[in-house]
Amino acid sequence: MSATALANLAALPVVAPIAAALILLLFPRPNLARRVFAVVVLTALLGLSLWMVAHVQAGGPLILRVGGWLTPYGIVLVGDTLAAIMLCLSSFTALACVLYGFAEKPTADEHPMRLPLMLLLLSGIDLSFVTGDLFNLFVAFEVMLLSSYALLTLEATARESRGALPYLTLNLVGSALFLATCGFTYSLLGTLNFAEMIVRTDPLVGDVRLTVLAVLMLLVFGLKAGVFPLYYWLPGSYPILPAPTAAFYAGMLTKVGVYVLLRLFGTVLPPELTGLHTLIAWTAGLTMVIGVLGAVAQGRVQKILSYHIVSQIGFMVLAIGLFTPFAFTAAIFYIIHHIIVKAALFLVGGVIVRANGTDDLDRTGGLWRAAPWLGIVFVIQAMSLAGLPPLSGFWGKLMILQEGLGQGEWVLVGTALLASILTLVSMLKIWLGAFWRGAPAEPLNYDGRAKRMTAVGLGMVAVSLVIGLGAEFFVKTAKHAAGETLDRAGYVRTVKAADARIHEGKHP
Amino acid sequence: MTNQLEAAILVFVLFTAGVYLSLSRRFLRILFGFLLISNAANLVLIAISGDPTRRLSATVGADGLPHNAVDPLPQALILTAIVIGFAVAAYLTVLLYRLYTDRGAATMNSLYADKAPGGAVARQTEGDP
Repeated sequence: MSATALANLAALPVVAPIAAALILLLFPRPNLARRVFAVVVLTALLGLSLWMVAHVQAGGPLILRVGGWLTPYGIVLVGDTLAAIMLCLSSFTALACVLYGFAEKPTADEHPMRLPLMLLLLSGIDLSFVTGDLFNLFVAFEVMLLSSYALLTLEATARESRGALPYLTLNLVGSALFLATCGFTYSLLGTLNFAEMIVRTDPLVGDVRLTVLAVLMLLVFGLKAGVFPLYYWLPGSYPILPAPTAAFYAGMLTKVGVYVLLRLFGTVLPPELTGLHTLIAWTAGLTMVIGVLGAVAQGRVQKILSYHIVSQIGFMVLAIGLFTPFAFTAAIFYIIHHIIVKAALFLVGGVIVRANGTDDLDRTGGLWRAAPWLGIVFVIQAMSLAGLPPLSGFWGKLMILQEGLGQGEWVLVGTALLASILTLVSMLKIWLGAFWRGAPAEPLNYDGRAKRMTAVGLGMVAVSLVIGLGAEFFVKTAKHAAGETLDRAGYVRTVKAADARIHEGKHP
Repeated sequence: MTNQLEAAILVFVLFTAGVYLSLSRRFLRILFGFLLISNAANLVLIAISGDPTRRLSATVGADGLPHNAVDPLPQALILTAIVIGFAVAAYLTVLLYRLYTDRGAATMNSLYADKAPGGAVARQTEGDP
């Protein structure tokens, strides 16, 4: 296949989930065939994105101009290494969460809308990874957010539904701000295409309007990522979700915000905005501490884990703020590590709720005796989250701290270490409350379904262990992705080179 | 792109009124507040759709355009944004209605009051901080 024909594959991670969701909507009754179909689609997507990671590292990014429009005028999809890595993570997490959902409930009890909405959510997430256009990114975010709103209240009880309101309202404000930012970008630069924006921001370095624009972008995507002081919506809304959906949200949604920050500050905006990078690093430090303090104060598994997302986002964003190729490598490696670990921990939380009937740590217990494998999943992922060697979290934190020390940011490094210790403390709290303590009065509900749910968790642990023990390979891939993300001239060159191919008439 | 002061004032008024309404306690006002905010953002897009000559707009032969022509691209953006805003407004309406049926009252106080009315009391033993 020629390069232009191959480039069409960049659209597949967006188109395939939408098509699959529409097909599922034609069959509203939950049955086995629907489940098999969803698993096949997600597995195929995972295979495709793994192939993409290998292919784009060797042969350069996949560039697709949608509708054949030339670069500055039409929408362009750019599947580079970073996007391909994120696509892998999104399809893997979706697959694990869907399998877990199948293990949790018999086919007849499944909500008919859950699978289609999950797939639509996935397509929105994937589009925000591959898009090379700011307004298209807005559309991708809205596809993602609308599906996530619907999923959030789909299976919520009357008691829980109020948790959706802060999530919805804050994201509405975020969307309005994003739209206004698109407008300001267009009036300042006259384009919304990333490649063209790169070219046009260079002469504007030092212009205060560009700085204001960058601050607006930081606000919008900081809100989506859950950065301090914009994280308020997160810990209230995630615990109302059923476990498999919560795990998918916890793994992917905030990381989309982090990805966009990486893309915008690394690729699109000029690297001379050093004042803003310092601002990012310090808000990241605050995010780490506030998030982990919130986690320590909580008494419920899902709440503790939700606050940990906020704290962990701080680590990734700190790496963005340090702004060197090595720091970006660390950020990307940390994202890879974090998505798998966090999703697995939420899945464990779901089994705890099922076994004990609650996730209130005052009334749980006895799981280590009843479910040692679940304990193993939890311990490995919790230690990885806290950053104990040789697990995957250790390498991510090591690289971030190394870079921080290299730049002489002693306070931030100290903050990160403190946050790691407090992470360990709150993980111990779950361990002692749910696993180590004797069983509560009611018998534990650890049946065959819970065992299969644990098996999905074990699969994620295996991946996580591979990341930790084979860190060299993953760091190498992350390094390639970081180099590509920071190579602004290279980004423009590859996107424009795709135009040249049309002019030569080689378009299929 | 000559005189945008009116647009700026209008955006300011809409944003202010929207934020004021959305911070109130009654669901209906919250809904209207967010409708105003999303329309203010749409207005920002209208305000930028000025003369296309300076820009990379998708206009062929921009030189031959009349003096007061506008850039077509922001119009496409607004259309998309309006459609999306409509979907979100529909969802917000449904969510607020659902909260009303779940709680039996259409104010924020009912959401965060300790004793929820009706059937919600039984579920309260689930444990919530």
